[in-house]
Amino acid sequence: MNRIHTFTAKTKMAEIITDYSLLTIIDRLNIKLGFGEASIDEICRRHNLSTDLFLMICRVYAIDGFSPEIGNLTNSDIPKLIGYLQRTHKYWIESFFPNLHTNIHTMLESCDERSAKILNKFYDDYDDEVQKHLDYEENTVFPYINSLVSGNKGNKFRIKDFEENHSNIEEKLHDLKNIVIKYLPENASQQSRINVLNEIFKIENDLNKHSIIENKILIPLVSKYE
Amino acid sequence: MSGKVKITIIEPSEIVVTGLKRLIEQNVSFHVVKTFCSVHEYNTMPNGNPDIIIVNPLTTADDSSDLRSLLQASSNTAILAINYGPYDEEALRDYDGIIGIFNTHEQIEKKLSAAIKNTSDKETYDNSNELSTRECEILTAVAKGKTNKEIADEFNLSIHTVISHRKNISHKLGINSIAGLTIYAVMNKLLDVEDF
Repeated sequence: MNRIHTFTAKTKMAEIITDYSLLTIIDRLNIKLGFGEASIDEICRRHNLSTDLFLMICRVYAIDGFSPEIGNLTNSDIPKLIGYLQRTHKYWIESFFPNLHTNIHTMLESCDERSAKILNKFYDDYDDEVQKHLDYEENTVFPYINSLVSGNKGNKFRIKDFEENHSNIEEKLHDLKNIVIKYLPENASQQSRINVLNEIFKIENDLNKHSIIENKILIPLVSKYE
Repeated sequence: MSGKVKITIIEPSEIVVTGLKRLIEQNVSFHVVKTFCSVHEYNTMPNGNPDIIIVNPLTTADDSSDLRSLLQASSNTAILAINYGPYDEEALRDYDGIIGIFNTHEQIEKKLSAAIKNTSDKETYDNSNELSTRECEILTAVAKGKTNKEIADEFNLSIHTVISHRKNISHKLGINSIAGLTIYAVMNKLLDVEDF
Protein backbone atom coordinates (compact mmCIF):
# COMPACT_ATOMS: atom_id res chain seq x y z
CA MET A 1 0.00 0.00 0.00
CA ASN A 2 1.24 3.46 -0.91
CA ARG A 3 2.65 5.65 1.83
CA ILE A 4 0.43 8.48 0.73
CA HIS A 5 -2.29 7.27 3.14
CA THR A 6 -0.28 8.64 6.01
CA PHE A 7 0.73 11.95 4.45
CA THR A 8 -0.50 15.13 6.09
CA ALA A 9 -0.04 18.85 5.57
CA LYS A 10 3.12 18.65 7.71
CA THR A 11 4.85 16.00 5.57
CA LYS A 12 7.80 17.27 3.55
CA MET A 13 6.77 18.02 -0.03
CA ALA A 14 9.84 16.19 -1.34
CA GLU A 15 8.61 12.95 0.23
CA ILE A 16 5.41 12.92 -1.77
CA ILE A 17 7.17 12.62 -5.13
CA THR A 18 7.27 8.84 -5.08
CA ASP A 19 6.31 8.09 -8.64
CA TYR A 20 5.84 9.36 -12.13
CA SER A 21 2.18 10.34 -11.78
CA LEU A 22 2.73 12.45 -8.66
CA LEU A 23 5.52 14.27 -10.43
CA THR A 24 3.09 15.02 -13.22
CA ILE A 25 0.58 16.51 -10.76
CA ILE A 26 3.16 18.88 -9.30
CA ASP A 27 3.93 20.11 -12.77
CA ARG A 28 0.27 20.50 -13.74
CA LEU A 29 -0.33 22.56 -10.60
CA ASN A 30 2.55 24.78 -11.67
CA ILE A 31 4.55 23.93 -8.55
CA LYS A 32 8.27 24.26 -9.21
CA LEU A 33 10.72 21.59 -8.04
CA GLY A 34 13.44 22.53 -5.54
CA PHE A 35 11.34 22.16 -2.38
CA GLY A 36 14.22 21.85 0.06
CA GLU A 37 12.78 20.79 3.42
CA ALA A 38 9.50 22.71 3.04
CA SER A 39 6.27 20.98 4.10
CA ILE A 40 3.31 20.37 1.81
CA ASP A 41 1.45 23.08 3.69
CA GLU A 42 4.21 25.66 3.16
CA ILE A 43 4.57 24.94 -0.54
CA CYS A 44 0.81 25.04 -1.07
CA ARG A 45 0.56 28.37 0.75
CA ARG A 46 3.36 29.77 -1.42
CA HIS A 47 1.36 28.79 -4.49
CA ASN A 48 -1.93 29.99 -3.07
CA LEU A 49 -3.30 26.46 -3.32
CA SER A 50 -5.39 24.67 -0.70
CA THR A 51 -3.59 21.78 0.95
CA ASP A 52 -6.82 19.78 1.03
CA LEU A 53 -7.23 20.04 -2.73
CA PHE A 54 -3.58 19.18 -3.31
CA LEU A 55 -3.66 16.08 -1.12
CA MET A 56 -6.98 15.00 -2.62
CA ILE A 57 -5.61 15.08 -6.17
CA CYS A 58 -2.47 13.21 -5.07
CA ARG A 59 -4.58 10.53 -3.39
CA VAL A 60 -6.76 10.05 -6.47
CA TYR A 61 -3.60 9.34 -8.46
CA ALA A 62 -1.73 7.30 -5.89
CA ILE A 63 -4.52 5.11 -4.51
CA ASP A 64 -6.51 2.92 -6.91
CA GLY A 65 -10.21 2.87 -6.12
CA PHE A 66 -9.98 5.98 -3.94
CA SER A 67 -13.20 7.94 -4.10
CA PRO A 68 -12.70 11.55 -2.99
CA GLU A 69 -15.32 13.52 -1.08
CA ILE A 70 -15.30 17.27 -1.37
CA GLY A 71 -15.59 17.76 2.42
CA ASN A 72 -13.69 20.92 3.31
CA LEU A 73 -13.16 22.23 -0.19
CA THR A 74 -14.79 25.55 -0.99
CA ASN A 75 -15.57 27.51 -4.13
CA SER A 76 -12.24 29.31 -3.79
CA ASP A 77 -10.64 26.00 -4.83
CA ILE A 78 -12.50 25.96 -8.14
CA PRO A 79 -10.16 28.23 -10.18
CA LYS A 80 -7.09 26.19 -9.15
CA LEU A 81 -8.87 22.99 -10.04
CA ILE A 82 -9.88 24.34 -13.46
CA GLY A 83 -6.29 25.48 -14.03
CA TYR A 84 -5.11 21.97 -13.21
CA LEU A 85 -7.60 20.36 -15.61
CA GLN A 86 -6.71 22.81 -18.38
CA ARG A 87 -3.00 22.16 -18.09
CA THR A 88 -3.73 18.45 -18.28
CA HIS A 89 -5.76 18.95 -21.47
CA LYS A 90 -2.99 21.10 -22.93
CA TYR A 91 -0.43 18.37 -22.27
CA TRP A 92 -2.62 15.75 -23.92
CA ILE A 93 -3.40 17.83 -26.99
CA GLU A 94 0.03 19.35 -27.55
CA SER A 95 2.27 16.54 -26.46
CA PHE A 96 0.73 13.20 -25.59
CA PHE A 97 -1.66 12.49 -28.45
CA PRO A 98 0.62 13.78 -31.25
CA ASN A 99 3.32 11.56 -29.80
CA LEU A 100 1.02 8.54 -29.67
CA HIS A 101 0.00 9.28 -33.24
CA THR A 102 3.64 9.23 -34.38
CA ASN A 103 4.20 5.94 -32.57
CA ILE A 104 1.12 4.38 -34.12
CA HIS A 105 2.23 5.59 -37.52
CA THR A 106 5.65 3.97 -37.06
CA MET A 107 4.01 0.75 -35.90
CA LEU A 108 1.73 0.64 -38.93
CA GLU A 109 4.63 1.11 -41.35
CA SER A 110 5.63 -2.44 -40.56
CA CYS A 111 2.09 -3.78 -41.10
CA ASP A 112 0.29 -4.95 -44.19
CA GLU A 113 -1.57 -2.27 -46.12
CA ARG A 114 -4.99 -3.56 -45.18
CA SER A 115 -4.42 -3.38 -41.41
CA ALA A 116 -2.59 -0.08 -41.72
CA LYS A 117 -5.41 1.56 -43.60
CA ILE A 118 -8.20 0.67 -41.19
CA LEU A 119 -6.16 1.31 -38.06
CA ASN A 120 -5.13 4.72 -39.33
CA LYS A 121 -8.77 5.57 -39.87
CA PHE A 122 -9.71 4.19 -36.45
CA TYR A 123 -7.11 6.36 -34.79
CA ASP A 124 -8.03 9.48 -36.78
CA ASP A 125 -11.67 9.06 -35.74
CA TYR A 126 -10.61 8.57 -32.15
CA ASP A 127 -8.45 11.69 -32.33
CA ASP A 128 -11.50 13.69 -33.48
CA GLU A 129 -13.55 12.23 -30.64
CA VAL A 130 -10.95 13.29 -28.06
CA GLN A 131 -10.70 16.74 -29.59
CA LYS A 132 -14.49 17.20 -29.44
CA HIS A 133 -14.63 15.93 -25.86
CA LEU A 134 -11.95 18.36 -24.72
CA ASP A 135 -13.31 21.27 -26.81
CA TYR A 136 -16.66 20.89 -25.10
CA GLU A 137 -15.04 21.16 -21.68
CA GLU A 138 -12.75 24.04 -22.70
CA ASN A 139 -15.33 26.06 -24.65
CA THR A 140 -18.54 25.37 -22.77
CA VAL A 141 -18.03 23.88 -19.33
CA PHE A 142 -15.00 25.79 -18.02
CA PRO A 143 -16.15 29.25 -19.24
CA TYR A 144 -19.50 28.59 -17.54
CA ILE A 145 -17.79 27.67 -14.26
CA ASN A 146 -15.47 30.68 -14.48
CA SER A 147 -18.38 33.05 -15.00
CA LEU A 148 -20.25 31.41 -12.12
CA VAL A 149 -17.25 31.89 -9.83
CA SER A 150 -17.01 35.56 -10.81
CA GLY A 151 -20.58 36.06 -9.64
CA ASN A 152 -22.65 35.62 -12.79
CA LYS A 153 -25.58 33.37 -11.93
CA GLY A 154 -27.69 34.17 -14.98
CA ASN A 155 -26.44 31.34 -17.16
CA LYS A 156 -28.87 28.68 -18.42
CA PHE A 157 -26.18 25.98 -18.49
CA ARG A 158 -25.98 23.82 -15.39
CA ILE A 159 -23.17 21.52 -14.29
CA LYS A 160 -25.74 18.71 -14.45
CA ASP A 161 -25.72 19.15 -18.26
CA PHE A 162 -22.00 18.42 -18.21
CA GLU A 163 -22.54 15.37 -16.03
CA GLU A 164 -25.07 14.03 -18.54
CA ASN A 165 -22.90 14.79 -21.58
CA HIS A 166 -19.62 13.61 -20.15
CA SER A 167 -18.66 11.13 -22.85
CA ASN A 168 -16.34 8.21 -22.44
CA ILE A 169 -13.06 8.51 -24.36
CA GLU A 170 -11.53 5.44 -22.75
CA GLU A 171 -13.47 2.72 -24.57
CA LYS A 172 -11.74 2.97 -27.94
CA LEU A 173 -8.30 3.13 -26.34
CA HIS A 174 -9.11 -0.07 -24.51
CA ASP A 175 -10.14 -1.64 -27.83
CA LEU A 176 -7.01 -0.35 -29.55
CA LYS A 177 -4.87 -1.86 -26.81
CA ASN A 178 -6.42 -5.29 -27.29
CA ILE A 179 -6.14 -5.05 -31.06
CA VAL A 180 -2.41 -4.27 -30.80
CA ILE A 181 -1.86 -7.04 -28.25
CA LYS A 182 -4.03 -9.72 -29.80
CA TYR A 183 -4.82 -9.13 -33.43
CA LEU A 184 -2.10 -7.15 -35.18
CA PRO A 185 -0.22 -9.70 -37.30
CA GLU A 186 3.01 -11.07 -35.85
CA ASN A 187 5.16 -9.43 -38.49
CA ALA A 188 4.41 -5.94 -37.12
CA SER A 189 7.52 -4.57 -35.45
CA GLN A 190 7.64 -5.71 -31.82
CA GLN A 191 9.43 -2.63 -30.51
CA SER A 192 7.02 -0.16 -32.08
CA ARG A 193 4.11 -2.17 -30.75
CA ILE A 194 5.54 -2.06 -27.23
CA ASN A 195 6.06 1.70 -27.53
CA VAL A 196 2.41 2.16 -28.47
CA LEU A 197 1.21 -0.09 -25.64
CA ASN A 198 3.34 1.72 -23.06
CA GLU A 199 1.81 5.01 -24.15
CA ILE A 200 -1.71 3.58 -23.97
CA PHE A 201 -1.17 2.20 -20.46
CA LYS A 202 0.05 5.61 -19.34
CA ILE A 203 -2.84 7.57 -20.83
CA GLU A 204 -5.48 5.04 -19.69
CA ASN A 205 -4.46 5.61 -16.11
CA ASP A 206 -4.30 9.36 -16.60
CA LEU A 207 -7.75 9.53 -18.25
CA ASN A 208 -9.25 7.38 -15.55
CA LYS A 209 -7.90 9.54 -12.71
CA HIS A 210 -8.80 12.69 -14.61
CA SER A 211 -12.43 11.66 -14.90
CA ILE A 212 -12.54 10.80 -11.18
CA ILE A 213 -11.33 14.35 -10.49
CA GLU A 214 -13.98 15.83 -12.80
CA ASN A 215 -16.85 13.63 -11.65
CA LYS A 216 -16.12 13.37 -7.94
CA ILE A 217 -14.51 16.75 -7.18
CA LEU A 218 -15.34 19.33 -9.85
CA ILE A 219 -19.00 18.46 -10.48
CA PRO A 220 -20.05 18.18 -6.78
CA LEU A 221 -18.12 21.34 -5.91
CA VAL A 222 -19.72 23.39 -8.67
CA SER A 223 -23.22 22.04 -8.09
CA LYS A 224 -22.93 22.99 -4.41
CA TYR A 225 -22.16 26.50 -5.55
CA GLU A 226 -24.90 26.83 -8.19
CA MET B 1 -34.12 -17.13 -2.33
CA SER B 2 -35.59 -17.53 1.15
CA GLY B 3 -34.17 -16.51 4.52
CA LYS B 4 -30.81 -14.90 4.90
CA VAL B 5 -28.25 -14.68 2.14
CA LYS B 6 -25.37 -16.97 3.11
CA ILE B 7 -21.89 -15.58 2.55
CA THR B 8 -18.49 -17.22 2.79
CA ILE B 9 -15.29 -15.18 2.94
CA ILE B 10 -11.85 -16.39 1.82
CA GLU B 11 -9.33 -13.84 2.99
CA PRO B 12 -5.94 -14.25 4.69
CA SER B 13 -6.05 -11.06 6.77
CA GLU B 14 -7.94 -11.38 10.04
CA ILE B 15 -8.35 -7.60 10.19
CA VAL B 16 -10.01 -7.54 6.80
CA VAL B 17 -12.22 -10.56 7.53
CA THR B 18 -13.44 -9.08 10.80
CA GLY B 19 -14.08 -5.66 9.26
CA LEU B 20 -15.81 -7.04 6.20
CA LYS B 21 -18.03 -9.37 8.22
CA ARG B 22 -19.06 -6.51 10.47
CA LEU B 23 -19.90 -4.18 7.57
CA ILE B 24 -21.82 -6.87 5.70
CA GLU B 25 -23.87 -7.91 8.72
CA GLN B 26 -25.05 -4.35 9.33
CA ASN B 27 -27.69 -5.47 6.88
CA VAL B 28 -29.64 -8.19 8.69
CA SER B 29 -30.51 -10.08 5.52
CA PHE B 30 -26.82 -11.02 5.05
CA HIS B 31 -25.16 -13.66 7.14
CA VAL B 32 -21.48 -14.58 6.98
CA VAL B 33 -21.61 -18.34 7.58
CA LYS B 34 -17.95 -19.28 7.23
CA THR B 35 -14.59 -17.62 6.85
CA PHE B 36 -11.40 -19.21 5.52
CA CYS B 37 -7.87 -17.94 5.23
CA SER B 38 -7.03 -19.80 2.00
CA VAL B 39 -8.64 -21.53 -0.95
CA HIS B 40 -7.00 -24.75 0.20
CA GLU B 41 -8.72 -24.50 3.57
CA TYR B 42 -12.00 -23.65 1.85
CA ASN B 43 -11.75 -26.72 -0.36
CA THR B 44 -10.88 -29.14 2.44
CA MET B 45 -13.59 -28.10 4.92
CA PRO B 46 -17.38 -27.88 4.71
CA ASN B 47 -18.03 -24.55 3.04
CA GLY B 48 -21.53 -23.80 4.35
CA ASN B 49 -23.12 -23.90 0.89
CA PRO B 50 -22.95 -20.15 0.36
CA ASP B 51 -25.01 -17.96 -1.98
CA ILE B 52 -22.04 -15.62 -2.26
CA ILE B 53 -18.32 -16.25 -1.98
CA ILE B 54 -16.12 -13.24 -1.32
CA VAL B 55 -12.54 -14.09 -2.10
CA ASN B 56 -9.27 -12.21 -2.10
CA PRO B 57 -7.87 -12.72 -5.64
CA LEU B 58 -4.37 -13.04 -4.15
CA THR B 59 -5.44 -16.40 -2.74
CA THR B 60 -6.44 -17.71 -6.17
CA ALA B 61 -3.44 -16.37 -8.04
CA ASP B 62 -1.27 -19.52 -8.03
CA ASP B 63 -3.94 -21.60 -9.62
CA SER B 64 -4.49 -21.45 -13.33
CA SER B 65 -7.83 -23.25 -13.32
CA ASP B 66 -11.06 -21.42 -13.90
CA LEU B 67 -12.32 -19.48 -10.88
CA ARG B 68 -15.67 -21.25 -10.65
CA SER B 69 -14.20 -24.75 -10.77
CA LEU B 70 -11.42 -23.76 -8.37
CA LEU B 71 -14.02 -22.77 -5.80
CA GLN B 72 -16.32 -25.67 -6.75
CA ALA B 73 -19.08 -23.12 -7.17
CA SER B 74 -22.23 -23.72 -9.16
CA SER B 75 -23.45 -21.04 -11.52
CA ASN B 76 -26.00 -19.90 -8.89
CA THR B 77 -23.24 -18.87 -6.52
CA ALA B 78 -22.00 -15.31 -6.95
CA ILE B 79 -18.25 -14.84 -6.61
CA LEU B 80 -16.99 -11.40 -5.60
CA ALA B 81 -13.43 -10.22 -5.16
CA ILE B 82 -12.26 -8.30 -2.12
CA ASN B 83 -9.50 -6.36 -3.76
CA TYR B 84 -6.71 -4.41 -2.14
CA GLY B 85 -3.97 -6.08 -4.13
CA PRO B 86 -2.31 -5.17 -7.41
CA TYR B 87 -5.32 -5.98 -9.60
CA ASP B 88 -7.28 -3.65 -11.83
CA GLU B 89 -10.88 -4.27 -12.85
CA GLU B 90 -9.84 -5.84 -16.11
CA ALA B 91 -7.88 -8.55 -14.30
CA LEU B 92 -10.92 -9.29 -12.14
CA ARG B 93 -13.51 -9.51 -14.87
CA ASP B 94 -14.30 -13.16 -14.14
CA TYR B 95 -15.72 -12.08 -10.79
CA ASP B 96 -19.36 -11.13 -10.38
CA GLY B 97 -18.35 -7.98 -8.53
CA ILE B 98 -15.44 -6.26 -6.85
CA ILE B 99 -15.43 -4.95 -3.31
CA GLY B 100 -12.77 -2.29 -2.80
CA ILE B 101 -11.02 -1.58 0.46
CA PHE B 102 -12.47 1.96 0.56
CA ASN B 103 -16.06 0.91 -0.03
CA THR B 104 -18.67 2.00 2.49
CA HIS B 105 -21.14 -0.51 3.89
CA GLU B 106 -23.83 0.94 1.60
CA GLN B 107 -21.63 0.32 -1.46
CA ILE B 108 -20.85 -3.22 -0.32
CA GLU B 109 -24.52 -3.91 0.25
CA LYS B 110 -25.36 -2.67 -3.23
CA LYS B 111 -22.66 -4.84 -4.83
CA LEU B 112 -23.78 -7.94 -2.93
CA SER B 113 -27.41 -7.39 -3.91
CA ALA B 114 -26.49 -6.77 -7.55
CA ALA B 115 -24.36 -9.93 -7.65
CA ILE B 116 -27.19 -12.11 -6.33
CA LYS B 117 -29.61 -10.60 -8.78
CA ASN B 118 -27.24 -11.15 -11.70
CA THR B 119 -26.47 -14.76 -10.89
CA SER B 120 -30.12 -15.65 -10.46
CA ASP B 121 -31.04 -14.41 -13.95
CA LYS B 122 -27.70 -14.65 -15.62
CA GLU B 123 -27.04 -15.34 -19.25
CA THR B 124 -24.04 -17.55 -18.83
CA TYR B 125 -20.98 -16.51 -20.77
CA ASP B 126 -19.78 -18.94 -23.33
CA ASN B 127 -16.18 -19.35 -22.31
CA SER B 128 -14.78 -20.99 -25.41
CA ASN B 129 -12.27 -18.74 -27.07
CA GLU B 130 -13.07 -18.75 -30.75
CA LEU B 131 -16.10 -17.02 -32.20
CA SER B 132 -18.83 -19.38 -33.36
CA THR B 133 -20.13 -19.19 -36.93
CA ARG B 134 -23.25 -17.37 -35.72
CA GLU B 135 -21.13 -14.90 -33.76
CA CYS B 136 -18.99 -14.22 -36.84
CA GLU B 137 -22.16 -13.52 -38.86
CA ILE B 138 -23.47 -11.14 -36.22
CA LEU B 139 -20.10 -9.44 -35.84
CA THR B 140 -19.99 -8.84 -39.59
CA ALA B 141 -23.47 -7.32 -39.49
CA VAL B 142 -22.52 -5.07 -36.55
CA ALA B 143 -19.40 -3.94 -38.38
CA LYS B 144 -21.51 -3.08 -41.41
CA GLY B 145 -23.42 -0.70 -39.17
CA LYS B 146 -26.62 -2.68 -38.78
CA THR B 147 -28.79 -2.10 -35.71
CA ASN B 148 -29.79 -4.84 -33.28
CA LYS B 149 -33.31 -4.75 -34.70
CA GLU B 150 -32.06 -5.20 -38.29
CA ILE B 151 -29.79 -8.06 -37.22
CA ALA B 152 -32.64 -9.74 -35.33
CA ASP B 153 -34.84 -9.56 -38.45
CA GLU B 154 -32.10 -10.77 -40.78
CA PHE B 155 -31.25 -13.87 -38.73
CA ASN B 156 -34.71 -14.50 -37.34
CA LEU B 157 -33.63 -13.99 -33.73
CA SER B 158 -35.07 -12.03 -30.84
CA ILE B 159 -33.37 -8.71 -30.02
CA HIS B 160 -32.52 -10.19 -26.63
CA THR B 161 -30.58 -13.01 -28.31
CA VAL B 162 -28.74 -10.55 -30.55
CA ILE B 163 -27.70 -8.49 -27.52
CA SER B 164 -26.56 -11.62 -25.74
CA HIS B 165 -24.46 -12.64 -28.79
CA ARG B 166 -22.94 -9.16 -28.90
CA LYS B 167 -22.01 -9.37 -25.23
CA ASN B 168 -20.33 -12.73 -25.81
CA ILE B 169 -18.44 -11.37 -28.82
CA SER B 170 -17.13 -8.35 -26.88
CA HIS B 171 -16.25 -10.54 -23.91
CA LYS B 172 -14.23 -12.96 -26.06
CA LEU B 173 -12.43 -10.33 -28.13
CA GLY B 174 -11.97 -7.66 -25.46
CA ILE B 175 -13.36 -5.11 -27.93
CA ASN B 176 -16.48 -3.08 -27.19
CA SER B 177 -16.78 -0.24 -29.69
CA ILE B 178 -18.32 -0.76 -33.11
CA ALA B 179 -15.22 0.84 -34.66
CA GLY B 180 -13.00 -1.66 -32.84
CA LEU B 181 -15.18 -4.61 -33.87
CA THR B 182 -14.98 -3.42 -37.47
CA ILE B 183 -11.19 -3.54 -37.32
CA TYR B 184 -11.32 -7.10 -36.04
CA ALA B 185 -13.72 -8.03 -38.83
CA VAL B 186 -11.51 -6.53 -41.55
CA MET B 187 -8.27 -7.97 -40.15
CA ASN B 188 -9.84 -11.40 -40.02
CA LYS B 189 -11.24 -11.01 -43.51
CA LEU B 190 -14.86 -11.24 -42.38
CA LEU B 191 -15.32 -7.93 -44.14
CA ASP B 192 -13.65 -6.17 -47.03
CA VAL B 193 -11.90 -2.84 -46.49
CA GLU B 194 -14.10 -1.43 -49.25
CA ASP B 195 -17.22 -2.39 -47.31
CA PHE B 196 -16.93 0.48 -44.89
